[in-house]
Amino acid sequence: MSRDRAVITGVGTSRMGTFPDQTSNSLAKEAFVNALADAGLRKSDIDGLITMPGTTSPEGAKHYLALGELLGINPRIAWSMSMGGATVGALVTQAALAIEAGMASTVAVVFGDTAKTGGSRFNAAAGDDDSWGIWGMFGNAANSAIAASRHMAVYGTTSEQLGWVGVTTRRHAALNPNAVMRTPYTIEDHQASRMIVDPLHLLDCCLITDGAVALVVTSPERGRDNASHPVRIMGMGQSHSLQKLGKEDWWYMPHQRTAIADAYRMAGVGPGDIDVAQLYDNFTISVLLWLEHAGFVKPGESGPFVEGGERISIGGELPVNTAGGNLSESYMQGWLHVVEGVRQLRHECGARQVEGAEISLVTGRGMTLNTSAALVLGR
Amino acid sequence: MSQMITPVVTDVNRGFWEGAAEGVLRVQRCPVCGHLRYPLARWCPECLTDGAEWVDLSGRGTILSKLVFHQKYHAAWADRLPYNVVLVQLEEGPRMISNVEPLSATSFAVGDAVTAVFVKEGDVTIPRFRLAD
Repeated sequence: MSRDRAVITGVGTSRMGTFPDQTSNSLAKEAFVNALADAGLRKSDIDGLITMPGTTSPEGAKHYLALGELLGINPRIAWSMSMGGATVGALVTQAALAIEAGMASTVAVVFGDTAKTGGSRFNAAAGDDDSWGIWGMFGNAANSAIAASRHMAVYGTTSEQLGWVGVTTRRHAALNPNAVMRTPYTIEDHQASRMIVDPLHLLDCCLITDGAVALVVTSPERGRDNASHPVRIMGMGQSHSLQKLGKEDWWYMPHQRTAIADAYRMAGVGPGDIDVAQLYDNFTISVLLWLEHAGFVKPGESGPFVEGGERISIGGELPVNTAGGNLSESYMQGWLHVVEGVRQLRHECGARQVEGAEISLVTGRGMTLNTSAALVLGR
Repeated sequence: MSQMITPVVTDVNRGFWEGAAEGVLRVQRCPVCGHLRYPLARWCPECLTDGAEWVDLSGRGTILSKLVFHQKYHAAWADRLPYNVVLVQLEEGPRMISNVEPLSATSFAVGDAVTAVFVKEGDVTIPRFRLAD
């Protein structure tokens, strides 16, 4: 096993929910303060600030500049980038590489958004090619619906099987005091929920939430001195299908398999070593595809794997999205998946703790099914 | 009905929309490597050669994925809900986002054979598909 480049030594979140009196940066500040406290560090220890602009942040690629001024940070490294749900994995990777290279010692990785109350972009034309609106193709659900419809046709996956992802992770959210949606529902409720873009029902879709997340990444040596139990960044991977219609199997997101394979290889682990998985769930179908791409099941076998929910439950053979995920905890574009991966490995999750968790896979995917990133975290 | 979403015709996509008005599905072909390209673009994404020839396709294809929109996302489409959207694999290679006529049709399946039809809406002719005979 290769030596670790860096560790996650602090995680912080803001309130999650509906906050019309907040901004993406005011929530980001809240998360940043909490992450520092979690790590037991002072602001002056931070010498890197890398961020993802929220969907409602006007600054775009210059978001680091606005946030750095508001937080009073003059770091050695700073930048912002946007890969949708793959961003957090990519930013943690960049922090780890910068630390390994000696360019920074302790990096704050930050995201805040007021997607719920700030007016979001999620209903815009699907994809970057606005011409799709000529044919009535809009919204992010449509992109995942393309994957779901095709997976159903090719492999016989059913709507009920998709539903079991949401039913099961809602049960997990019920054990998470910080989750926005905590009331359990049944597979019948899933089937009765209104159609958004057939084959996806309302209960196949993630939440839209105001909130923020901050992570503190530092070297393994420095991490040993911090207040919290440092979590090892064992493996990191990325891969992207930047073409859409131009790539024959774009809908199946084969790049996700490459991202995870790279993270596994760097970590020296395989699917059998993963104790708990935090899989990006903008829509239920995404979890099925991750299960296949991560090698937990063969292509086409994810539907039967999740049916009934037992296997992906806490206490099952592969607990998935133990905090509730984007579908129930809060839609922080995968940032809370990293937080939950860290908390599970610190063994501080109380009723939802996966007993003896040593290694967690955390995945993210974004844009028009284009980008992906994977982290293997270790206790 | 609200204002429909109409194409912004540019030098890059003019051949496609002129073809539609003439009742043919017309896409770009790289003058050097022969790659058929859609989405339309200024240069070939395979060999990066600038420019294009225009080539008429058969209009035949199969449905790769089938969606039915129930959620209103845009005022221009509100009166048409629920309507289908399909991903079509064209016989010659490219893939398109489009619809099956009539837009309200839902009793068709992934794998069904389709053929292009050309629907005039105001000043624009939009390529869509119907189930093949």
